[in-house]
Amino acid sequence: MTEQYHPLIKQLLDGELALAELPPGLRAEGERALQLLAAVDRTPVVLPAAVDQRVMAQVRRRSSSPVGRAWRWLVRARDLDIRVRVRPWVVGLAAAAVLALAVVWPGSEVATSHAPVYVRFIFYAPSAHSVTIAGSFNQWDPGAAPLVPTATPGIWTTTLALPLGQHQYAFLVDGERWVVDPTAPSVDDGFGQHNSVVAVTSQDGGGRAL
Amino acid sequence: MRTVGLVVLLAVALAGRILAQGDVAARLGGRLPPAVVTAVRQLADSAAARGLPVDPLVDKAIEGGAKGVPGERVVAAVRVVLNRLGQAATALRAAGLPTSDPDVIEAAAFAISAGLDARAAAELARRSRAPYSPAATLRVAGTLAALGVPATETVQVVQQAIAGGQSPGALLNLPQEVEASVARGASPAAAAAGLGQGQGRGQGQGLGQGQGLPSSSPHGPPPGKGQSHKP
Repeated sequence: MTEQYHPLIKQLLDGELALAELPPGLRAEGERALQLLAAVDRTPVVLPAAVDQRVMAQVRRRSSSPVGRAWRWLVRARDLDIRVRVRPWVVGLAAAAVLALAVVWPGSEVATSHAPVYVRFIFYAPSAHSVTIAGSFNQWDPGAAPLVPTATPGIWTTTLALPLGQHQYAFLVDGERWVVDPTAPSVDDGFGQHNSVVAVTSQDGGGRAL
Repeated sequence: MRTVGLVVLLAVALAGRILAQGDVAARLGGRLPPAVVTAVRQLADSAAARGLPVDPLVDKAIEGGAKGVPGERVVAAVRVVLNRLGQAATALRAAGLPTSDPDVIEAAAFAISAGLDARAAAELARRSRAPYSPAATLRVAGTLAALGVPATETVQVVQQAIAGGQSPGALLNLPQEVEASVARGASPAAAAAGLGQGQGRGQGQGLGQGQGLPSSSPHGPPPGKGQSHKP
């Protein structure tokens, strides 16, 4: 037998509403529902003897099956005594191996606790149809970071998450012309042009790092 | 047993080198013609054998490929980078500094590429004792030079900042202050001179960040480029 309660009464039983928050017309019903719930909570649950016997019979049957015994044997925790005799050169070898792997393994750069810093780039190119930014931070991939035109004609912008450090970059206009950021420091790129330089620094932890 | 250990260590080192070679080839594969990849790999081997960082060489080759530069020019540019790294390492060693940190070598090479004399760069690194980081100091100097500050003034400003006891944060802030000043119309040399005056007034007082150039707005981003932290 299930009593259908008003949705607000259900909210009251779920603890989402207080009795005083109910409309006056529902308060009496809410009070009864609370009393009923309290009574149910305090009622001990007594299972019929037949249920108890059926459950125990099932447990005994399962415990006697070979599969169940094997499984329990497999997953049972055991105490192990292990004695290790280490030779010094083995320790040296292990340390060297770890060091060598740390140095040469691709992508094994030591992770720093610094989160990337968001850097906003703005570029003025009134006649451009497309502008992208490429640099040492994205493997000079010309298609990785397009700039979008702003509401102000000729102004392009993008915001990139860059790791701490110093990065060189350039803008690629219309997919064919590399242009330095006129507002940033620049260095010779070795190919007859220049790269812009951005130093991403961290101001958290009381310090900044180039 | 000692011989066995030595042999195994050598084997591990050799395996590391082979892995490194594979890494260079893998990073360049598909970006550059095979002949260029081979040439760059040889240069990278040469760098590794001399204890120089390899990544700047690979990065320069990738940049050349992305910019559509002819292969021979890519190799030439990579060779220039290698020579500069070697020049930086030699200067650091001559100044009595260890060259085990690739970051310091790279930073010195950057400062040299920006126009600093190798010996001046090494001298800056030598003066960068704790709490200053040699790599950061060299990058600051390189960035100032890249902004157009003459090399002599660059070295002078950075040396003054260190001698004046400015905080490492204030040192890192110098390029931003020069950028801001240049954006307002000052020449790079004048902007650096302004820094020098600010430092002169603040010597011995442990200037905080951005106090070196009183007329600048040190915490604002340089024009055209804003830097913000993750919200």
